[in-house]
Amino acid sequence: MQITRRSLFKIMGAAGGLSAIGSRAAAAENTSDDDYGCLADVGRCIGCRKCEMACSKVNALPPAQTSFEDMTVFDRNRRPDEAAFTVVNRYFSSRADERGQPVPAYIKVQCMHCLHPACASACITGALKKQENGAVTYNPSRCIGCRYCMIACPFQIPAYEFSDPLTPRVRKCTFCFENISKQGGLPGCAAICPVEALTFGTRSELLKIAHQRISEAPLEYVQKVYGEHEVGGTSWLYISKVPFEKLGLYPLPEKEIPHLTETIQHSIFAYMWAPITLFGILAGAMRFFNPQQMSGKPSQIQTEKEV
Amino acid sequence: MKKTFILLMLSAFILLAALASAPDPAKVAEAPPPPPKKVFEDGSPWKAVDQEAAMERARQVPEFVKTVLKESPAERKMRLGEKMPTLADVPYRYMIIDSPILKSPPFDFLSQESAGSSFPGLKIGDIYGPVRFMHLKHAAVVKDCTKCHHYKPDQPDASETTECSACHQKPFDPEFPERPGLKAAYHQQCMGCHQKENKGPTDCTGCHAKNPPDHSVLVKLPDHPDPLMVTKECLRCHDHTANDMLTSAHWLWRGPSPYTVGAEKRVDMGKATNTINNFCVALTSNWPRCTSCHAGYGWKDANFDFSDKTRMDCLICHDTTLTYAKVPTEAGMPYPQLDLKKIAQSVGKPSRKTCGDCHFQGGGGDAVKHGDMNGILYYPSRNCDVHMGGMDFQCHECHKTRNHKISGRSLSLPVAEGSRSCQDCHTDSPHKFHTGEGHEDHNLLNHHLNRHTEHLHCQTCHSPVYAKCKPSKSWWDWSKAGDKKRKVQKDKYGMPDYSWQKGEFQWKESAKPEYLWYNGKVSRHLIGDKINPEETVRLTFPNGGIADPESRIYPFKSMRGKQMADAGNHILIVPHLYGPEGYWKTLDWDSAFEKGMKAAGLDYSGKYEWVETVMYWGLTHETIPAKNALGCVQCHSALKGEKTCNRCHQDNRNVNFKKLAEKGTDFEFMASQGRDVSHLVGQSDYLNFEALGYKGDPIIYGGRFKKLPLGNETAGMEN
Ligand code: SF4
Ligand code: SF4
Ligand code: SF4
Repeated sequence: MQITRRSLFKIMGAAGGLSAIGSRAAAAENTSDDDYGCLADVGRCIGCRKCEMACSKVNALPPAQTSFEDMTVFDRNRRPDEAAFTVVNRYFSSRADERGQPVPAYIKVQCMHCLHPACASACITGALKKQENGAVTYNPSRCIGCRYCMIACPFQIPAYEFSDPLTPRVRKCTFCFENISKQGGLPGCAAICPVEALTFGTRSELLKIAHQRISEAPLEYVQKVYGEHEVGGTSWLYISKVPFEKLGLYPLPEKEIPHLTETIQHSIFAYMWAPITLFGILAGAMRFFNPQQMSGKPSQIQTEKEV
Repeated sequence: MKKTFILLMLSAFILLAALASAPDPAKVAEAPPPPPKKVFEDGSPWKAVDQEAAMERARQVPEFVKTVLKESPAERKMRLGEKMPTLADVPYRYMIIDSPILKSPPFDFLSQESAGSSFPGLKIGDIYGPVRFMHLKHAAVVKDCTKCHHYKPDQPDASETTECSACHQKPFDPEFPERPGLKAAYHQQCMGCHQKENKGPTDCTGCHAKNPPDHSVLVKLPDHPDPLMVTKECLRCHDHTANDMLTSAHWLWRGPSPYTVGAEKRVDMGKATNTINNFCVALTSNWPRCTSCHAGYGWKDANFDFSDKTRMDCLICHDTTLTYAKVPTEAGMPYPQLDLKKIAQSVGKPSRKTCGDCHFQGGGGDAVKHGDMNGILYYPSRNCDVHMGGMDFQCHECHKTRNHKISGRSLSLPVAEGSRSCQDCHTDSPHKFHTGEGHEDHNLLNHHLNRHTEHLHCQTCHSPVYAKCKPSKSWWDWSKAGDKKRKVQKDKYGMPDYSWQKGEFQWKESAKPEYLWYNGKVSRHLIGDKINPEETVRLTFPNGGIADPESRIYPFKSMRGKQMADAGNHILIVPHLYGPEGYWKTLDWDSAFEKGMKAAGLDYSGKYEWVETVMYWGLTHETIPAKNALGCVQCHSALKGEKTCNRCHQDNRNVNFKKLAEKGTDFEFMASQGRDVSHLVGQSDYLNFEALGYKGDPIIYGGRFKKLPLGNETAGMEN
């Protein structure tokens, strides 16, 4: 059955709470050893921004405001936004090179594709979904624009097309879902990275590589794989020669965040069925008066349509 | 029979007439000149031999190596002992890094056209071009082959220096999870070492040439646009680039003069303002003719607006169709017949063609001005220029450019936006290796050759003759101009000895340079400077001397001639040559001088005389292949006799010292190829040591700062 926004609203009042539980269960089911992941080695990254460029190209993102060769963007920290699913940030560690210059560390930031994604759990319509291959994808035709995902994400990843008044979407790294679903396919960023600072593979294999790499150079690497346990584990993993806190990767509980958000949500929905029904009626009215606005953008992820 | 004779006479006459009028600068050619022919001098199709061989090697994909011998560098050294690979094992000096592996799955999708508006017309896999890699140079500098060739394949017969692409192919291979793919292997190895050694580039464009996007989808122009419309369309995206251009030497024809003595801090010197030469003398009052080489449109008088970006000519440097050309007399306007839309839609990087159209053709014709640059360099043989002919170097690959400021400097003009030298690539001790048959003994020489770099510029030995493949003008006597009846004779190279507009000429081909001490600074005669009419006026002269440690011996073309001077004010005259009232129309020197001097803002006494001038031009191009550089005995007569190296060395090794010392530039071979060098065969005083201030051959008399422990006599320096 194809769930459209309208049919969704019809059933929402009754099933709102249940669907959230459903997606939580799906997330746990979907994760396995063969999930894809990506290992980002901060020690290797040279800050060339080629991954940003490739991401922009393979996801057909709007033209960048400044050239991808403009390295002055590093002067301030950036977050991924609706026009850039990934950004590279520069941090200066306390290390200095032979000439006394501080050694920069570059870190690529994008969706971590959590094993138990808080965004998906927070999403009351199932627009965000953990796919079997590891990607957490977004289906704009299901999205009602509530933006709970943005609040729920512990890494502040999802962005919203506030500039688009008619059909705004939540935007975030797709893990190049379509590409990696193909045999031998790669995410754009990992394919272009000139130094293999990004290694693409199954999460279990990546964990092995990561542990091997850090244990082979114990004096250089921080002896930890970020994302192995954080928020219940993430498909994207980081290893680094500078402490993770200095790169904006803060300590997070090992417990998966969904528990938290679901608790909030469930209690909300326990008492809030009335306003939701009201919103449903309002939305129905909007649909009636302005079908254009409510039609949504065509789905990028075709597979999401079938449920 | 009679008819044929008449026809013959007629065609001979037409030919003569054409020849006589060929240098007529006032004549507008009907059609733009065709692109230079891509052929060697003998007419056979041109190819850059070293480049093609390297590209062919780059296409090979070796069989994948699954397992390597796991050993630490120390274990490997111990295993190999004496058998560590050396420079003699380097099979290829020069390589191109462009393996098909880098474009095959899983990278192929980067090279497919995909949507997205950030890079219309450019596939992201194609943004950067292949890398030129000086393999042997790296081996010599790194000194240890096993630093890069870090593992040996497991098979017993495998090479210790197996190529990178044998072990590193596809990335993220689940079977070999920790083995980087080829692209990452190169980047990690190259950049890692460059960073660690603080040597060599670590930015993308330091190694890769960047490919321009396909402008056919970007440039929006109506059919038959005029040149200024084209520029406006360029500015739509490249406005900030135009701002860079506004302050560049190619736009202003003036700029910083850090190497001109006494003008190190000035920024106003150049052709546009105050330099003078002994070819067509000076720009002022002759604009429309001279500015046909200006990267702009319409600089026809002193009022040209240098802040008007729409008057920039982007196409003159960025044309890739090889068809763009400017009318020689129209102040920089292109031929109206050209399809400017097509040219604008194919813009890309400059080439030998775009640079050469002005820089090979300076002085009013091919090979006239520069002694080391001429139309042969569009498609030279390896022997004419090893970089351009052997490896297809384009000008900008050496003359690195940033923000439209092009590095490089010359004696002829003061403006410099950065400087380049051979050492930038070849290092301070360039003689480290000679490989291949017949070169085994050469390694003994390297120590001595490298000592030479303190006293000689590379060109001294590696460009032993200039105007190597095409004659260059060496004498221009303006005082003889004006005789329309004089019959133009051809010299032994087939070059004309006279033009009624310009006077008398002499040409030189495969000429021996003049050698002088040069420390990089130039003394320059400027418009308005006083002269001593009794002496030859030095328009440019290299500074330096034997006692100056900064100075090295450098080869020059000296351009000599007679030009006009104000007999009352004792200054050189700026003549008005081109235009309806110019000398080339009126043949009236008095009026030409008066008008020219007025335009230049100088007082003209009304009396003129002819004075001799000389202008020195540095020689840097036309590098000869290394094995043809000057050899020991060609300068050191001390090594000519029976005693050669064993003058000092009591070396009983089985080395033919005599043969070693006598290798060098093969003038006999060059003569057999039709070059005018027979008088140089067998010379052993190529550099005139006495003229340079030595007492004699430094092998006998000692060097300029050191005495040889075994010298026959000690040298005293002149000053
Ligand atoms: S990082 Fe944020 S947006 Fe990405 S999967 Fe995790 S919770 Fe969702
Ligand atoms: S995985 Fe794809 S969408 Fe995500 S950052 Fe990389 S290129 Fe962009
Ligand atoms: S492409 Fe690779 S090296 Fe370059 S910034 Fe991205 S992760 Fe770092």
